[in-house]
Amino acid sequence: MAIPEFSTTGDVSADVVVVGSGVVGGMIANELASAGHSVVILEAGLRLKRAQYVENWRNMSFHNRLHSDFQGLYPQSPLAQAPLYFPPNDYVGLSGPNGSAFKQGYLRTVGGTTWHWAASCWRHLPVDFEMKSRYGVGRDWAISYNDLEPYYCRAEEEMGVSGPHDVSLQSPSERSRPYPRDMIPFGYGDRRVAEIVNPHGFHLVPIPQGRSVEPFGDRPACCGNNNCQPICPIGAMYNGIQHIDRAEARGAVTIAEAVVYRIDTDENNRVTAVHWYDAERRSHKASGRTFVLACNGIETPRLLLLAANARNPNGIANSSDQVGRNMMDHSGVHASFQASEPLWFGRGPAQSSCIVGPRDGDFRSRYSANKMILNNISQVAPATEQALKLGLVGTELDDEIRRRAACGVDLSISLEPLPDPDNRLTLSKTRKDPLGLACPDIHYDVGDYVRNGLDAVNTQVRQIAGLLGGTELRITTDYNANNHIMGGTIMGTDPRDSVVDGNCRSHDHGNLWLPGGGAMPSASVVNTTLSMAALGLRAADSIKADFEKGRV
Amino acid sequence: MRRWSGKGLGLAGRVGLAAVALLLSRAVVHAQSVDANEPIAERGRYLAVAADCAACHTAPGGGKPFAGGYGIASPLGAIYSTNITPSRDFGIGTYSEAQFGRALREGIRGDGAHLYPAMPYTSYTKLTDADVHALYVYFMTDVKPVEAPARRTVLPFPYNIRATMAVWNALFLDDRRFEPESGKSVAVNRGHYLAYALAHCDTCHTPRNVMMAEMGGRALGGASLSSWYAPNITSDPKSGLGGWSDDDLARYLKTGDVPGKAQAGGPMAEAVEHSLQYLNDDDIRAIVAYIKQVPAIADAADKAPRDTYGKPSDREAAYRGLDARALVRGERLFTGECAACHRPTGTGSPDGYYPQLFHNTAVGAARPDNLISTILMGVRREVGGHTVYMPGFGSGSYVDSLSDQDIADISTYVEQQFGNPAVRVSAEEVTLIRTGGPKPLIARLGAFAVPGMIAGVLMLAGAALLVLRRVGKKP
Repeated sequence: MAIPEFSTTGDVSADVVVVGSGVVGGMIANELASAGHSVVILEAGLRLKRAQYVENWRNMSFHNRLHSDFQGLYPQSPLAQAPLYFPPNDYVGLSGPNGSAFKQGYLRTVGGTTWHWAASCWRHLPVDFEMKSRYGVGRDWAISYNDLEPYYCRAEEEMGVSGPHDVSLQSPSERSRPYPRDMIPFGYGDRRVAEIVNPHGFHLVPIPQGRSVEPFGDRPACCGNNNCQPICPIGAMYNGIQHIDRAEARGAVTIAEAVVYRIDTDENNRVTAVHWYDAERRSHKASGRTFVLACNGIETPRLLLLAANARNPNGIANSSDQVGRNMMDHSGVHASFQASEPLWFGRGPAQSSCIVGPRDGDFRSRYSANKMILNNISQVAPATEQALKLGLVGTELDDEIRRRAACGVDLSISLEPLPDPDNRLTLSKTRKDPLGLACPDIHYDVGDYVRNGLDAVNTQVRQIAGLLGGTELRITTDYNANNHIMGGTIMGTDPRDSVVDGNCRSHDHGNLWLPGGGAMPSASVVNTTLSMAALGLRAADSIKADFEKGRV
Repeated sequence: MRRWSGKGLGLAGRVGLAAVALLLSRAVVHAQSVDANEPIAERGRYLAVAADCAACHTAPGGGKPFAGGYGIASPLGAIYSTNITPSRDFGIGTYSEAQFGRALREGIRGDGAHLYPAMPYTSYTKLTDADVHALYVYFMTDVKPVEAPARRTVLPFPYNIRATMAVWNALFLDDRRFEPESGKSVAVNRGHYLAYALAHCDTCHTPRNVMMAEMGGRALGGASLSSWYAPNITSDPKSGLGGWSDDDLARYLKTGDVPGKAQAGGPMAEAVEHSLQYLNDDDIRAIVAYIKQVPAIADAADKAPRDTYGKPSDREAAYRGLDARALVRGERLFTGECAACHRPTGTGSPDGYYPQLFHNTAVGAARPDNLISTILMGVRREVGGHTVYMPGFGSGSYVDSLSDQDIADISTYVEQQFGNPAVRVSAEEVTLIRTGGPKPLIARLGAFAVPGMIAGVLMLAGAALLVLRRVGKKP
């Protein structure tokens, strides 16, 4: 077991330095520690126990819970802010026509944002890798679906994904290995909606999920707390902290409250060290042979820009000027209505089924695809708010809450933005974090491709609501963020217009990998975590190969 | 290697049914009845399940049946189970029935070397000839040979000298077959045979003397097993199972779960999972009949039965929404770590998957060993194709890794609220359980003390045997 070496002043040296301790950093650290390399993980945020998050959530106000304050229960390091919205802390400055659609909720904490994900483990479709060739829009990836497919399998196995063994329910069905576990069984609402809408081409399928109804190894069975977001109280949902724990059992060392701010490069532009501030603002250095930045789609490009040095004046890995550009998220809308019969959403995990009929088609040369998650989050809180607004009291109030909780439907709809270099993260000229490091600014416009796709969404939602006898149909008009941050360190074959290659290795620095959502050149309409993990595992393989071939 | 198992008491822990056997073998000899129509190999298969051979001789996590390789944790080092498939090169394929019987009943391998008593031959020695025959036929004809060696056991000196076992056997192995007691019902005698010659309940539930031989005078009176504690299962109404209904006992043996009362964890969960759940109802009833009449052993520390302590909590409404500092540390940890499943009230889930904490034998016991072990290591029990699982909160937990102080504080809170208020748990106790529980004297003394100890015990044993013979001669 190889262990990082620490100096008396708190500097560290390891074979592999990983910045970021989320699902991608954790998996890479685990892979490389398992291969016998010494690994140090630097995480800007705090390391706390699940139970503290659970209790913070339980003690939160009804207002915060009702309006999905998934960030506020995770205490932040005073030196490493994350975006907060209750009230807004303006850590990320947003501008542009749809700036408000980019209010991302990501955590800076050991284990990362999968503490409060919903464990949806989607794959991109094969065609999503060839948007330019097939539909004439966006970009092609530097790799094909077939190149990534084995890593999708591995990521599913690492995360213990339950997905449909029935091929007709798979999206996509091109698979070399089965899901580790069969799908989480549909609840009543999923079955009933499928019965009603599927004859009209909507194709409701189970969401592949990082949880299971029987124990998966040491992971307990999901019992349907319906509290995946913002915290699974029993550890039944996959969290990135699991791979941090595994990596540590194999010798990796995690340093929490370590804010990386500087990157050293040598005459060949290879990275030689990163520097971080500890909780007392003292600076330390982590030297290594290979470096991985896995800080998710905002902090990785921010750090690359912050760390500009004499040899890389526009920022690390940024000879193409593409770092921070092409920012994407599945900018979405919500639709809600009261069905004409009880559907009882809110039993089982927070996400259960999804309409994928409009996920692909020739229309994608003209406008965005979409997917519609049949949200399975308990309707009791919104039902209560609505019933109170009606001025009801006593048993009438109770009955109305019951009726609305049983019949309420909420669709979470994702659209697919195209990579646009003008959608850009830059360093704020005015706002600094407590360490004096520039905060990120993001300019965002969803683009006409998405706007045109929204017209199709409106038509489809009205049809679905009609089939379910829906009343009180509301479709939000402002786009909302979905926390699937992509594009800022975009992948491509040409170093002149992209930041990383097909292994997520930076074009500019032979020993620097930037895996995760930032590398993704097309958004598709599905949650990004599984693709991020697959890219991370692929990056880990290329790092291992470098060690084996003596290239580092 | 898994820590502990029902069969994993370790070298020292496996020795000796001598005293018990002497005390209990005062009756008329009856042959066990054998249904002539039942194929012998099929009967052997059932006996092998009842004796739980596979639990040790099949490596967990996908090992081939009976191919060995399970590392049984002992205070002296891991003892690896052997390949007992009929492979001629790696297993017992060349054994004659006599050699097979000698291994089972005397702990002597085909090549004449002594087995370590991790193999419970001191219990199997009671097996009838007919049952040994059935087991032999089953292993030779129905078990698939596995042509691979199992990992070798290497213990430190002097335990690596297997011949020392001859001394132990002379002292503590009573090489005699089971003899039914006159005056007891057929069911009680059948249950006695099942409980001792096959299921070897005594191996865990009977405490041991300094030489790790079972103390016959305290048969089934409760004993410490590494991190777990095998409780008193005699008929005493407070200290034992005297207050249990026959149906509850039968259900416990068959499923490991009596909602609102007791759940099997640790080694008992293994015994239910691998063996007891497969016993037919008549045999389960026979074991119940036997257990219910085992002479009571009372412990003055037990003021009330284990399953009568505690009450539900109504505290949550008083603290929810307040600063966490409003709670004592144990309660604060309990509500964050435990209450999502066991509920703030301690009532568990309506379907019983998450057990009720009050009126719970593990929580109400006078010793907190099993509560601490459950929190540290969790519970896993597969019965009827369905897995009951509680994650542990020890190192590498999928939920949260708790410190010894955390677990001590939670345990003390749980005992005060839901269990035995006389029990308070310290971090040192949790450390002890985490590191394998109380060590028997023989392990604590170390290698150099053993030869002297054997000499001393030889003399003591001579005297003891005289006493026991006299006891045995009483009418």
